[in-house]
Amino acid sequence: MTTTRTTLLAALLSATAMTSAAYAADPIKIGVVTPLSGTYAGIGQQVKWGLELATKEVNAKGGIMGRPIELIYEDEEANPAVAVQKAEKLFEVSKVDFLTGTVNSGSTLAVGQVAERAKKLIATTVSFADSITGDKCSPNVFRVNAKAGQQSTALAAWLAKEKPKAKVFFLGPDYLMGRSTVAAFKEAAEKVGSVSLGEVFAPLGSKDYSQYFGQIRAAQPQVLYTSVAGNDTVRLFAQMEEFGLLKNLTLLGASGTVTSQNIGAIGKAANGFTTGVGYSTEINNPANKAFVAAFKAATKADPDLYGTDSYGLIYAYKAAVEKAKSTDTDKVRDAFRGLTWSTPQGDKTIRAGDHQAMQTMYVVQVTDGNFKITSSVSGPDAIGPDTCTRF
Amino acid sequence: MSEAAQYFQFVLAPQMLIGLVLGVAVILVALGLTIIFGLLDVINMSHGEFYALGAFVALALSTIGLPFWLLLLLVPLIMLPVGYIVERGLIQRVFHSGDRHVRTLLLTFGLGLVMEDAFRLVFGPNPHRPETPIAGGVEALGIFLPSYRLFLIIVGTAIIAAVAFVVYRTRLGAMVRAAAFDRDMAASLGVPVQHVYAGAFAFGVALAGLAGVLLAPIYSVFPTMGRDFILMAFTVVIVGGMGSITGVVVAGLLLTQIQAIVSLYISPVWSDPIVFGIMVVMLMVRPQGLFGRLGHG
Repeated sequence: MTTTRTTLLAALLSATAMTSAAYAADPIKIGVVTPLSGTYAGIGQQVKWGLELATKEVNAKGGIMGRPIELIYEDEEANPAVAVQKAEKLFEVSKVDFLTGTVNSGSTLAVGQVAERAKKLIATTVSFADSITGDKCSPNVFRVNAKAGQQSTALAAWLAKEKPKAKVFFLGPDYLMGRSTVAAFKEAAEKVGSVSLGEVFAPLGSKDYSQYFGQIRAAQPQVLYTSVAGNDTVRLFAQMEEFGLLKNLTLLGASGTVTSQNIGAIGKAANGFTTGVGYSTEINNPANKAFVAAFKAATKADPDLYGTDSYGLIYAYKAAVEKAKSTDTDKVRDAFRGLTWSTPQGDKTIRAGDHQAMQTMYVVQVTDGNFKITSSVSGPDAIGPDTCTRF
Repeated sequence: MSEAAQYFQFVLAPQMLIGLVLGVAVILVALGLTIIFGLLDVINMSHGEFYALGAFVALALSTIGLPFWLLLLLVPLIMLPVGYIVERGLIQRVFHSGDRHVRTLLLTFGLGLVMEDAFRLVFGPNPHRPETPIAGGVEALGIFLPSYRLFLIIVGTAIIAAVAFVVYRTRLGAMVRAAAFDRDMAASLGVPVQHVYAGAFAFGVALAGLAGVLLAPIYSVFPTMGRDFILMAFTVVIVGGMGSITGVVVAGLLLTQIQAIVSLYISPVWSDPIVFGIMVVMLMVRPQGLFGRLGHG
């Protein structure tokens, strides 16, 4: 009986508290459609952590124009069809002002169309596909993270500086992602003067890469670019070491080629592997150090690329709304265009022509089993041409 | 030098040599499979997982400091009782039922799934890799081959020869072949058939484990590694003639050479479909395979 009464009282009190808060300032609602279960749950977790940390910080300092931020979550299961339903629900029922969280590039594109119909804005903090701010761009979609093209441009710029006119051989896994990453880097590298010697695509999950080594040896490359991932990387690098192919060869790859999951098994064969990414916990500036410390204190985990870009988004939205002095879609869109705001990765700027964020890109290299930042490429140099023609 | 000779030296010969290494690896895995099939008439679907078990046992033992060369002897010896217990404790229980093929196939399939998940629980999902025990390489006539792969060809050939010798030239082998040919007649002549069955299963499993230790430095160790060679090994057993040791050797070398050479001319993605295509054709025109069954002259 006592418990019931206490619960009732607590409920009543909290209800009063909520109403009074609402009177003080209506919250700004941000919908988060992100995978909270399934294969991509790990990414969704980082998105959630990043958004929550930034929201807590912003609300503690008085919110956006005096209004607190409220995050409303929906699980999209990394499935575009589910993401569409959940986004519609958030726009129509929860009446959110803004939406983010989509991981899968297909989900981002699909939810972008929902946003156009609902006349609302969305932003992705994770999706890599170039088309989102390229040929499939939308006036209602923004991207605050680096696209795939920025990663390969950064790596190609580093290559041009380190090894001008490098002779490059390409080895990719034989499926869509593998072929498109190789094609993207090939284009970026050739643009800065590299010479492509040849390319080979091995079946996904190949046992033995030594059958391609004759071809690689005959081409005599200075650089090998690969976009294999997971255990395929372990086998490729180990077998190359076995055949003495790593001598005088620079290994480059996609950002997912060498990860914390497989770096141990690759061992010393991974030394010198270089890739381009948008974030590393090692970025040496006070903002990043404070962010990493706060993130670790809140979650007991290191922030990754996805957590950091999601954290930065809240500050981008805050800056845009404060500039527009409104949450109105058209006014916020105008405010976003050309907006510069600061993040743990340094200042980012939204390019008005395609809604893609420009940011410093980092080139990281494996040294004794750890990723070290070797150089960076400035935002304007890495972003590439604006190919969006819709607005 | 003529262009054809140069092509042979720099393109074809290295490719065939690499195919030979893969061939020896496949034969090592398929050898145990064919013995178990030829003798027990059991299609061991968990054979790949026993191959993985060998690699994981070696991985665990190497962390306490045992050298690779000792593991090469030790792991098969550990696998022998494991195989013996699995045969007596699990396979014998369903062996005498009417639909033996289906039941043993399902049993070993399930066992393989359980083992794969056990590896994941104990060792985690990420890959591991032991350092290559012999570094460096040998270069002859402009062809480079890592020393460890040369070692693999030599040791693999020795193991295959030893297995063939035991099966075809010793009293033990004669008992095994007799039990495979006519179980009741062999039993009535005093062959301890029960033990021969369990022993042959253990022997096949130990061979798989040995292959696991030998191949780990090249192909790395991870929970689903058992699936790597199993399809190829089954194909080799079917094409060679189920239960035939000669068949496994001939088909193993033939199919891996076809794979190696074909991938020079068409996309390597097609090398698997071609090999499985050969298997399908074989099943249609000569279902008994290239050579006959174990014990059936």
